[in-house]
Amino acid sequence: MNRKRHRLVPEAFGQKRRREGGDVEADPLRGESGSARAAVAELVRLFPRVLFEDALPPIALRSQVYSLVPDRTVADRQLKALQERGEIRIIQLGFDLDAQGIIFTEDYRTRVLKVCDGRPYAGAVQKFLASVLPACSDLSFQQDQMTQTFGFRDPEITQLVNAGVLTVRDAGSWWLAVPGAGRFIKYFVKGRQAVLGMVRKAKYRELLLSELLGRRAPAAARLGLAYHVHDLIGAQLVDCVSTTSGTLLRLPET
Amino acid sequence: MLSGGSDGVMVLYDLENSSRQPYYTCKAVCSIGRSHPDVHKYSVETVQWYPHDTGMFTSSSFDKTLKVWDTNTLQIADVFNFEETVYSHHMSPVATKHCLVAVGTRGPKVQLCDLKSGSCSHILQGHRQEILAVSWSPRYEYILATASADSKAKLWDVRRASGCLITLDQHNGKKSQAVESANTAHNGKVNGLCFTSDGLHLLTVGTDNRMRLWNSSNGENTLVNYGKVCNDSRKGLKFTVSCGCSSEFVFVPYGSTIAVYTVYSGEQITMLKGHYKSVDCCVFQSNFQELYSGSRDCNILAWIPSLHESVPDDEETSTRAQLNPAFEDAWSSSDEEG
Repeated sequence: MNRKRHRLVPEAFGQKRRREGGDVEADPLRGESGSARAAVAELVRLFPRVLFEDALPPIALRSQVYSLVPDRTVADRQLKALQERGEIRIIQLGFDLDAQGIIFTEDYRTRVLKVCDGRPYAGAVQKFLASVLPACSDLSFQQDQMTQTFGFRDPEITQLVNAGVLTVRDAGSWWLAVPGAGRFIKYFVKGRQAVLGMVRKAKYRELLLSELLGRRAPAAARLGLAYHVHDLIGAQLVDCVSTTSGTLLRLPET
Repeated sequence: MLSGGSDGVMVLYDLENSSRQPYYTCKAVCSIGRSHPDVHKYSVETVQWYPHDTGMFTSSSFDKTLKVWDTNTLQIADVFNFEETVYSHHMSPVATKHCLVAVGTRGPKVQLCDLKSGSCSHILQGHRQEILAVSWSPRYEYILATASADSKAKLWDVRRASGCLITLDQHNGKKSQAVESANTAHNGKVNGLCFTSDGLHLLTVGTDNRMRLWNSSNGENTLVNYGKVCNDSRKGLKFTVSCGCSSEFVFVPYGSTIAVYTVYSGEQITMLKGHYKSVDCCVFQSNFQELYSGSRDCNILAWIPSLHESVPDDEETSTRAQLNPAFEDAWSSSDEEG
């Protein structure tokens, strides 16, 4: 009887230990409590540059920053400070007024210049990047601001819209935009629905985070599972429940 | 407490817990039922006591009227008729120089009705869609905040003829913009408004499932993030802020529960579960520090602060009277007490 007991108990613990080894990578997903700047730097590393052939600057989302920095008010205030210092730009992604993209200003500038090289609107874009970007750190620009303060004429503003640097918001006001971001937004929306669908199809509509990250990414999630999971957690599209086996992602009841 | 229901009935309750039991029912003192000749025809949306005493109260309803009642006789003192359904009304709690009631209707104009003269001649123009909530500032008697379905929330000084003071902008853009038409407070309809008890900050909730805290003197978004505050109400949502707590709390109806957040840090404290259907409104009584909430399941629940509960003693089977120690008498009839 004693022999049996000794054999069973170490086996049970052994199995758990083996599983823990695989878990270590997944749970730091929730354990980050650094600054917003560190969070953005890390998220930017998750962005798949190869997919877009380096034409797009690496974009992180605001909801992803919330998943890495647990206190949202602190995260918002730090992002606002970074925005005011000119280190990051916040871009309104078209599909959801709530989802905002965060890009480092340097990345944005280099990529936009590269994309607009040799095109007819290159002059207007360079003037915009040199004069407007450093001066105004807002998400949007108004008509009188562009014409009077920065001296842009109407044809030049049309060229900027054609280049993809500005998107129309309202009569006489424009959002800042990333040229060529349409593909990114398409992959992002499809990927978000695909990863959410993985949780929805699970039994009881809940999945352990470690198991979700261990699964094969569905074909629609081209930006990577980790990228989408950060976004789902931060946007509160799934509830995070901490259990003894790690974090559990559960769809909210409503 | 005054309450209005979706069948047009209004009931007055006595909130005192005279039975000293932990679970008690508040009795209805009187009611304006369906048999009353002047009862509202449709749902009563907003009710408010006259701010200075309980001799009068006002009620507005989907039957396009605002009625002013005398409490002691339960008769109508005055009626204001409008062209559109009334979503919300509010009378200033600190006003001494005016008796204006601000009324938000389905039309884009905010109407100000004067109780003294009985006319509603003052109109505030600026919104483009229906006005879902109005609230006077508890600090300045002429400052009014309005929230509309066109995603905008505006602050007005009613003495000024030229328009609103500030349109709240969630992105805190540069104030040099001459055209404020693009400023939005939320990415959906703005459903509810509540000033903090000192009037320095304003909370707004919107159908984009967000709640925002604004500095009411310059209209700046303080960027306090409460997370997702579910809001599917198509009418106004009545939420409330505590008054007299060391860090103020905001109580927001969240589906069939009530979510409690600290106002200035955005942290969610708890969710109060008790209703069976969606909660529509809640109100805080600062004298007793109690919260009352009304819901679609036809119940009004009273939430009282839970004090330190004594461990039940198995030996004594005593039905100890539950009394809030804040209200206990320290008075003794003995002559020796110094």
